[in-house]
Amino acid sequence: MNSVASIVLNRSFQLGLLAVILIALATLPLHYQGYNIVRLLNIFMFVVLTVSWVIFSGSTGYMSLASAAFFGVGIYTSALLGDKLPIAVVVGIGALVSSCVAFLVGALTLRLRGIYFAIFTFGLVELIKHLTLWWEINMEDRRGRLVVYVENDIIFWVMLSILVATLLTAYFIRRSKWGLALQSIGENEEAAAHMGINVTLVKVITFAVSALFVGASGAIIATRWTYIDPGIAFNPLYSFMPVLMAIFGGMGRLLGPVIGAIAFTYLKEELGTEFPELYMLIFGIILIVAILYMPNGLVGLIQRLWIRGFRRQDADT
Amino acid sequence: MVEFLNIFIGGLILGGIYALIAVGLSLQYGVARVLNISHGEFIMVGAFLTWAMYTFWGLNPLASLAIVGPAIFVVGFVLHRTLFTRLRTSSASPAAYEGGSLIATFGLMFIIQNLAIITWGTDIEAYSFLNTGVSIFGARFAANRLTMLLFAAGICVVFYLFLARTRLGKAIRAAAQDPETAGMMGVNIKRVLALCFGLGALMAGLAGSLLSMCYPIRTTMGLEYTIIAIIVVVLGGMGSIVGSFIGGLILGMVGSIVLYIDPSLSLVAYYFIFILLLLVRPTGILGK
Amino acid sequence: MRRKLLILMVSCTMVLALAAPLFAAGCDEAEPEKEVIVFGAARPLTGPFAVYEEMAFGPIYKMWVDEVNARGGLYIEEYGKRLPIELKIYDDGSDMGTMTSMLERLILEDEVDFILPPASTAFLFAAAPIANKHGYILMGAEGGGTTLTPLLPSLPYYFGVLNYSDHYQMPVLADILSDAGIETAAIMYLEDLHGVEYSGVAGIELTNAGIDIVMTKSVPLGVMDVSSIINQAKTLGAEAFLSFCYPDENFLAIGTAIALDYNPDVFLTGPGANFAFFAGVFGPAAEGIMGYGAWNTKSSAASEDFYEKFIALYDPGLLDWWGHNLYYAGLQFFEQAIEEAGTLDQAVIREVMATSTFDTILGPTWFDMTADGEGGGLLAEECYTGQVGQWQNGVFEVVDPGANRTAPPVIPKPAWPAEE
Repeated sequence: MNSVASIVLNRSFQLGLLAVILIALATLPLHYQGYNIVRLLNIFMFVVLTVSWVIFSGSTGYMSLASAAFFGVGIYTSALLGDKLPIAVVVGIGALVSSCVAFLVGALTLRLRGIYFAIFTFGLVELIKHLTLWWEINMEDRRGRLVVYVENDIIFWVMLSILVATLLTAYFIRRSKWGLALQSIGENEEAAAHMGINVTLVKVITFAVSALFVGASGAIIATRWTYIDPGIAFNPLYSFMPVLMAIFGGMGRLLGPVIGAIAFTYLKEELGTEFPELYMLIFGIILIVAILYMPNGLVGLIQRLWIRGFRRQDADT
Repeated sequence: MVEFLNIFIGGLILGGIYALIAVGLSLQYGVARVLNISHGEFIMVGAFLTWAMYTFWGLNPLASLAIVGPAIFVVGFVLHRTLFTRLRTSSASPAAYEGGSLIATFGLMFIIQNLAIITWGTDIEAYSFLNTGVSIFGARFAANRLTMLLFAAGICVVFYLFLARTRLGKAIRAAAQDPETAGMMGVNIKRVLALCFGLGALMAGLAGSLLSMCYPIRTTMGLEYTIIAIIVVVLGGMGSIVGSFIGGLILGMVGSIVLYIDPSLSLVAYYFIFILLLLVRPTGILGK
Repeated sequence: MRRKLLILMVSCTMVLALAAPLFAAGCDEAEPEKEVIVFGAARPLTGPFAVYEEMAFGPIYKMWVDEVNARGGLYIEEYGKRLPIELKIYDDGSDMGTMTSMLERLILEDEVDFILPPASTAFLFAAAPIANKHGYILMGAEGGGTTLTPLLPSLPYYFGVLNYSDHYQMPVLADILSDAGIETAAIMYLEDLHGVEYSGVAGIELTNAGIDIVMTKSVPLGVMDVSSIINQAKTLGAEAFLSFCYPDENFLAIGTAIALDYNPDVFLTGPGANFAFFAGVFGPAAEGIMGYGAWNTKSSAASEDFYEKFIALYDPGLLDWWGHNLYYAGLQFFEQAIEEAGTLDQAVIREVMATSTFDTILGPTWFDMTADGEGGGLLAEECYTGQVGQWQNGVFEVVDPGANRTAPPVIPKPAWPAEE
């Protein structure tokens, strides 16, 4: 047991394993064209949305419901520029535009705390949606746009790259002084300010950084949808989902939101296909049971079971 | 004059609807600390019960208020005594409880909507009730909308008096301000919170009943009303009943004016005001 | 230490769990003998579009599948026998992202033999390129629109059945109005694909017919009061009021017009008036209201049979006098094309569909193909049973000029009924 554990815990072994997984994923579309590409890229997308949400909201405690706004901005970037520029550039622009929007929103909303921040960001999604709608209809006399078509494997690779970038960013932010600053803002903002942290700057920049990935994933996923309009692009579902997934997985550590997003996306799709008539019912019950019996999310539950298992093992030996 | 009346009374009607939709949510969040995403589902259930009783038994929608209200109250009360009480006692902090209850109400939303779809299907339902014109100084309004306004105003006034004048109402207000002290003062906090949640659900049910007189209804419409309710509640100030009423009226008036000038801007105007107000006065009009 | 080990184990398990289906998919089992034909679809069982599944295409495809199976299935020459149809319906929750994924899942993972369309025009737009990419025939149902028309040449597998704005509805409406001597019209439209398109096309067609458009106002989805619009139309004295909205707003517009005593000579609403339950809701107030359409039991003997079959199975209130006969005819056409092709090879069936005429409840039915038969197609103008309908004595009459007409239009429409 011990020798196995020591090998498994060896840092280079871990890195190697990660590299193998990454390579396996990255080369998948070369020899496989089936539905799992789509399934995986959907999962990647929700992991990106959830982890980006956690980068800002998880540590600072500001619950943002603006994900759908950044996502939609990415989608619209793709719709407007998709046929004019290479897709990688479009994704980059989508990321930057979303990030700028987040920067502005962050700078505007510094006074808001708690639930007011959450609801402000939610209202923002709706405002952008209705403004876009109004603009399209009254200024351009149209509704909705066609988006350039991109092959699934390209979408897959782009999404995988965004995923890796998101995870790396989240990981290094957690490890850095910056992450500590965020943590202390979450614990006590006044105290953090007294400690000499530029609270405003840290919050706004983190918010803007987290929006990068959301915007990028919106820009690339739009190419799967072909036709978009403001109602489709700024769907509040994409604001709520990351929150649910993060809490479902448990926000204590980085792995929680990742597992939450994977499990949630997988579960939702399987229920929607296996029990289309009852899936909302089952899904609702799972949510309630989860919140009642897993206060620290899926990861918390696994951890509890694990520790219990370990104790028993310790007792046996 | 007629134009002014059109806009003014039209605004009152819209405002009454918004206030009615929002008051229940305000109570639930303000006192019970549950941001109830399933609020709109209770509205939907109230609307469908009223529609069903009118269509199948010929029961007057206004009379059905007396059945719908208590029935939904019981559901809300029981839900809080079981689900939310358990969640509250097991949560590590108030913030954790708010997050947890948010998810739980999401779950409720899915459950209630799915049950409603199984029962009533997903098609549009509607009925004609009091769909005639009433003339007020030359301006014409639909009788059912005016009735809705009168009932909405009446319900809100009764509700306000209940909170302001009765013992129970005072206990609720005490619990809203400081649950721990209220608990020490002998208020049965569990019961009061469940009561608040039940009353919030009751208001949602009544709102649904009244709405079904004027608007077509669908089992999938809940979330739309939840969103309106959240906006009105925040506009008025979280937890302030009077605030919700004022917030609703303001939104209604603005809506009525914008509808007169350029109907396509009405929703843009709502969210614009909402966001502007939050920036200028983050705690809402009557917030602390 | 333990924590790290745990994290690692969990991630490995998840990767394995995800990878497992890949390997499973990799090993091909021996092809079993074909026993059923699977039709798959991503349909909105929940969410705002769920109404389509209940009232539009939903009842029709279920009815059709049951009928085909009652006959023993579709006869496929390649297999030399009849194969029953099995449905595989997924819920897309009215979400675009879910719909596109589910459709690809049906095609790639479940390898269904055929697909049925998703609901609403926007979703149809999104589904058409996917179907085309995988070489699956997409027989349209609820939806169609001018935005899709320029794409048709690049979508050879798309076959649209529903009529829409410039696919003859608005030109016919313009004829009806100008024949009746209508001179002014007011338009209220919803800020969405449907509303923008119809108001645009109506603006052109009506103006060409010499009708003056005195007001054009748009309303957002979820509008809760339209009295200012009705009041304005009334003040302007518009002889025709056209509401290009969805049932929610259309019902509100009619209720408001009754309350405000605005009784134009022509009152037309978009989706809403065409449903049978509309007459039930509004009772005598429905008299004279026009809607898109149209067909009724007088259109043909086949229409009457279809009606009888429908009400034997479903609540008559669910009947749609606009699209139901078209959806059903589309499936009948599809069915005959599959049997004629004698194979499940979509490319072969597509050629049959593009070049053949089959008998359906519409009579002889064929598609006008774009790009010299290489592109997608739309149901030919001659096949439609009507473009505009009007409620007269509880019947949704076809009031088009010409052979489709089942009753002449009543213009001006009767006054709103007196207060009860």
